[in-house]
Amino acid sequence: MSRVLRSFSAELLLVALIVLAAIWSSQLSPYFLDLNNLMNSAAFFVVFGLMAFGLFPVVVQGEIDISLASTLAVASVLFAKLSVAGVPVLVALPVVLAATALLGAVNGVLVAYAGLPSLAVTLGTLGAYRGVAYLLAGDAGVTGLTPEYTFLGLSWVGVVPSTVVLFLIFAVVIGVLMEATRFGRYSYAIGSNPDASRTAAVPVRQTRVIAYAVAGAAAGLAGFVWVNQYQSARGDNADGAILFVLTAVVLGGVSIKGGSGRALGVLLSTLLLATIQTGMKLANVPGTSQTLVIGLLLIASTGGPQLVTLLRSAFGRVRRTSVSTAGG
Amino acid sequence: MSEPSVLERLRLSGSGGAALRVRFIGVLAFQVLLIVVFTALNPRFIGWDNAQSILFTAAILAMAAAGQTLVVLTGNLDLSVGSIMGLCAYVVFDVTSQAPWLAGLTVPFAVALGAVLGLANGLLVTYLKIPSMVATLGTLSVYRGLVSFYANAMEVTSGELPQWMRTLATVRWLGLSSYVWIAVLVVVLVGLALSLLPWGRKLYALGSNARAAYYYGLNENGILVGAYVAAGGIAGFVGLLLGAQVGNINSLLASGIEMQVLAAVVIGGVSIWGGSGSVYGAALGAIVLATINNGLVLLGVQEFYRLLIQGLAIVAAVAVDALVQKRVLTATRRRVILEVAA
Repeated sequence: MSRVLRSFSAELLLVALIVLAAIWSSQLSPYFLDLNNLMNSAAFFVVFGLMAFGLFPVVVQGEIDISLASTLAVASVLFAKLSVAGVPVLVALPVVLAATALLGAVNGVLVAYAGLPSLAVTLGTLGAYRGVAYLLAGDAGVTGLTPEYTFLGLSWVGVVPSTVVLFLIFAVVIGVLMEATRFGRYSYAIGSNPDASRTAAVPVRQTRVIAYAVAGAAAGLAGFVWVNQYQSARGDNADGAILFVLTAVVLGGVSIKGGSGRALGVLLSTLLLATIQTGMKLANVPGTSQTLVIGLLLIASTGGPQLVTLLRSAFGRVRRTSVSTAGG
Repeated sequence: MSEPSVLERLRLSGSGGAALRVRFIGVLAFQVLLIVVFTALNPRFIGWDNAQSILFTAAILAMAAAGQTLVVLTGNLDLSVGSIMGLCAYVVFDVTSQAPWLAGLTVPFAVALGAVLGLANGLLVTYLKIPSMVATLGTLSVYRGLVSFYANAMEVTSGELPQWMRTLATVRWLGLSSYVWIAVLVVVLVGLALSLLPWGRKLYALGSNARAAYYYGLNENGILVGAYVAAGGIAGFVGLLLGAQVGNINSLLASGIEMQVLAAVVIGGVSIWGGSGSVYGAALGAIVLATINNGLVLLGVQEFYRLLIQGLAIVAAVAVDALVQKRVLTATRRRVILEVAA
């Protein structure tokens, strides 16, 4: 039993933090625990959550993709354009998702086949894809979407917004992909040791390209949710969102060096960040000061375990234990 | 005549230094190409006035890139550079406006504040073992959050700065803006530190092979913290200059500039893997970026082409770097074989 608890200690810590954040938020405003408020707040974070789950397999493989928010912008503009052009949503959805998967695959090919550093590549495509989005959208952006493109943002499944349901389904799909498929096992192997994986006949390059394509498609799906929720699209959609997304992934216990992390952790950390941000909004904390808290969380979750180790050795505790907390 | 032996053929095929020189010349050629293309499209591009304007833009970027180079050479990153610039500028402006007798100390104050923020970055990366990208992404938002907390949505003017500092941006020395000369000074000083000081050489050693540097007995953490402190100090100084130029600043000064700074460093040929590149290359990268920005504005082209072209330039630059690195590696192996054989 204690072994099970220990292997889930990161997740348990996140749950405890979520509870604390929820108590704090409900102190700030009696309306926080109102079901309607909770659900509407949750819907706001679906876009970020989708991108976090897209980024998750890439980070498990030891790589990074900071271009996702730009891919989202391309997708949202494409959806809006197709809607205005009268294309049925069931045609537009696969087309745009394929297009964004392709944008992701371009990153993947540059990283896996050309051997370029993923941070530099996606820094480049972050600008390039954002440029494409502006190019497509023009200065004014696109408005006047048909109802079938905005239906999801206004509909509910019982008491849960449809977009939240969509997010949960996607999270489960990625979770199953990482836990129960060959792709998932390859991803963890590549993230732990790419050279050893290659020697063990793991198709490292293909697996990397697939991860980037999935990330691109996830950003595309997030773009779909975006137009559903905001009924318009502009070139600057979701600019700067990658900080939140990367924080959600790393805070969820996914090592930035690759090889570890679980979908459950990413889900819980997204929930935690959402709770904290909603609480701060209720407390009228300005947006820029909210980033202070998120940044501190990012640092604390990645540096915390090592800090504990340092403090222990400084205060003469000789017993060397393996510290396993969030991010460890 | 007999076939040259394997060793002779190895000897004939040159060293990796050539590839690195080609890399620098490549960026220079790209810069010339940009000038030719922009001039062909709009003759107003060429001329002393516009060149001055490009160099002025490049000056700020080149100084920030010089600090970033120190960190990137070790194989790490400093994404918080824009937040350090903004925080230092705002706090120094605000303090001097409330305590005018401190006005004489603006520059040391900004540098010291930046160095402290850089120190925090360095400690997070070394002693807490947080990967530099994550640590500085965190401090990017922490520092920005701190300044917005401090500013509380207010603006601060440069009115209380010393007279010489307020007018510095408009002063010309020998026909060029003072900022350009200051940038030259900063870049050359960093360049000299890198080539002459043991510390500079150690940065390269650390970036080339951290494990080898460790076994050689280098104080890995100390060197890296030093790089972050220096980068932070430079960022504080550049922030002050940028603030003095802008005049009235709010808490968002220089936000997002880290992408431009990284782009300048990468385009200038500083390897993102660490261990290779020069601060002069990074400065050239800054000039290339400033030229692209300026040329596109003159052509009346909108913002998005800048993003697109800049993005493609970064990808092209790292692609070339990968080729160069392969060349250099092969050349190094070749040299080792030759030395073992001799």
